[in-house]
Amino acid sequence: MIEGGKGKTYRIAVQRFADRSTPQSAERIARFREALQNALEFSGLFQRVPDGAFLGPLETESLDDGAQIACPDWTQIGADALLQGEIARDSEGFRVAFRVWDTARCRDLMRRRYVQKATANPEDVARRVADDVVEAFLGVRGVSSTEIAFVSDRSGNKEIYVMQADGSNVRKATANGSINNFPNWSPDGQAIAYTSYRQGNRPLIFLSSRGALRPGRLLQSDGRSQYRAVFDPIGERLAVVLSNGSSSEIVSVDTDGKDVRRITQSQSIEVSPTWSPDGKRIAFVSDRTGAPQIYVMSASGGDEKRLTYDGAYNTNPSWSPDGLWIAYETRVDGQFDIWLIDPEGKVNVPLVTNERSDEAPSWAPNSRHIVFSSTRRGRADLYMIDRDGSNLRRLTGDAGNNTAPNWGPFPR
Amino acid sequence: MRDGQQDLRKREFRRFVSWSAGAHLAVLGIVVISPGFHSRFDASQVIAVDLVSLPASALAPSVAPALPPPPSAKPVPPAEKAPPPPPESPKPKEVVLPKNPEREPSKPKPAPKPQEVAPKPEKDLDDLLADMRKDAGETAPAPKPVEQAAVPAPSATASAGTVKVSPEVLAWMRKAKLHVRSAWVVPPGFRREALETHVTVELDASGAVVGEPKITQRSGNPWYDEGVLHAIVKASPLPPPPAAGEWDFVFLPEDAAL
Repeated sequence: MIEGGKGKTYRIAVQRFADRSTPQSAERIARFREALQNALEFSGLFQRVPDGAFLGPLETESLDDGAQIACPDWTQIGADALLQGEIARDSEGFRVAFRVWDTARCRDLMRRRYVQKATANPEDVARRVADDVVEAFLGVRGVSSTEIAFVSDRSGNKEIYVMQADGSNVRKATANGSINNFPNWSPDGQAIAYTSYRQGNRPLIFLSSRGALRPGRLLQSDGRSQYRAVFDPIGERLAVVLSNGSSSEIVSVDTDGKDVRRITQSQSIEVSPTWSPDGKRIAFVSDRTGAPQIYVMSASGGDEKRLTYDGAYNTNPSWSPDGLWIAYETRVDGQFDIWLIDPEGKVNVPLVTNERSDEAPSWAPNSRHIVFSSTRRGRADLYMIDRDGSNLRRLTGDAGNNTAPNWGPFPR
Repeated sequence: MRDGQQDLRKREFRRFVSWSAGAHLAVLGIVVISPGFHSRFDASQVIAVDLVSLPASALAPSVAPALPPPPSAKPVPPAEKAPPPPPESPKPKEVVLPKNPEREPSKPKPAPKPQEVAPKPEKDLDDLLADMRKDAGETAPAPKPVEQAAVPAPSATASAGTVKVSPEVLAWMRKAKLHVRSAWVVPPGFRREALETHVTVELDASGAVVGEPKITQRSGNPWYDEGVLHAIVKASPLPPPPAAGEWDFVFLPEDAAL
């Protein structure tokens, strides 16, 4: 489900990739091409040229180094770019090679080839290709192949779900019938940490790994509630919020739940940790002045500095992977807007403002987009927006309230 | 003896010539900086445009080929005394100026070299002064064409950062830039960044882009720069320029939204 406006985009002609598989499969090629074109359009950077407009060949003939294309055939139909490629799927793997052309200047911008598992489905491979094509034009990878974890009550209780970044292929990550919240991806994309009331009706942190049958507890309970766990950028430790009911503190633990280190020392409520991309600092929320504000400290504790001064209620910070911005929510007239502030606190600008609430920002791994939850249609839906405030798009449909999104890493 | 007298006369004559040359220079200086001198230029028709950075060599062809060549470089008023730009003056950094006048098929005649003060000894001082006033345009009754006044002296432009462009050239600049905009895609995420790419484009008389545009100042984001080059080539042909040759363009992300 994608809804929203677009700016001017590149028109890209996507040839049907040549099938070098044994045996060949027209259905696989067609699925691959459709997913590829959808993923390119999802980037907000491209729109497809319809097949009927083609003057040049519909299918890739050759990817040889010396192979040229008749650029006027493509410029004449308004194509800015041409994508050619070939697929070979056999018992060895799913191989794909492609070449992207700037048709106006008649030069190729990118050539790549790689091998995926033989069991990889055509849609996943197509999204990888599309994200690379985005890189050829933007300098950063596209994110169609990434996933977003979030919380939805569509089944009657709050469970963790995962979907593709374009909102497709939604599936459940938890089904325990309890309350689950605050999903957070490991940097390798192989695990999600989340808070669940599934044991003893108290919030505890669990780790759910891909392929694992049962989630595991992150750390032993010391009687305190475990509210939220957030992976560091290299996946070695997690910052965890522990609460005794009257105050809360942030500790860090390794992925086995050992080596617990306290990193905040005040008696106030300290929550919502987010790591800087170099892992050296943590931004968090503290009510030490009487109202929630965002602070930055060393990842080992200390060297604390207040970051937000505008607004009486600022929370839910999210540090961008490129380190340039911290997105956070600020309360205005009882609702929340999303703002961006630089880590030094010098620049503070609104990103999403609306008379309804916009909450829980989370960055795409390319630092170009943010996913957030908004009640602008009544129920809570997930939206994405570009960092410059353009390309607002709704990602979730009409099923339940969808909150607490966390954008996963690039697939490896 | 006769040789001695001749030597003496030669020395006196040389002294006269030196004195005369100095006097003429002084008079010329007074004439050029006097307010009345500048008032003869029709400032109302001159459009001043702020420059970002412009090589001095780029300035000469800002006169359209069809226009008469300037009579002399001397009448150019100092840039700091240029009239204030009119309200419709374009935004800074939108300047497009042609370069390399030698590429123009119908280039204007080169402006005569500024005259060095080298009066002939046969004329008396009054005659010389009259000639100089004439050269300086003091006695010219009619206002000079805008385009003549619009030709900037490179040094003046470089010092003040301002050059005047004829309305004809300016109109073409706007049309050309709008035309390129129609082909230009600024990717999401670049639109609010501080990016600025300077490109030199060679155009033939019909406006067709000749060869590959050249980036003269990179934005720091190579993908943005590539997008600019793509747009220029895709937009070819541009509206026919006032003169074939190389033209400078500056591209800012906000231009794409216009």
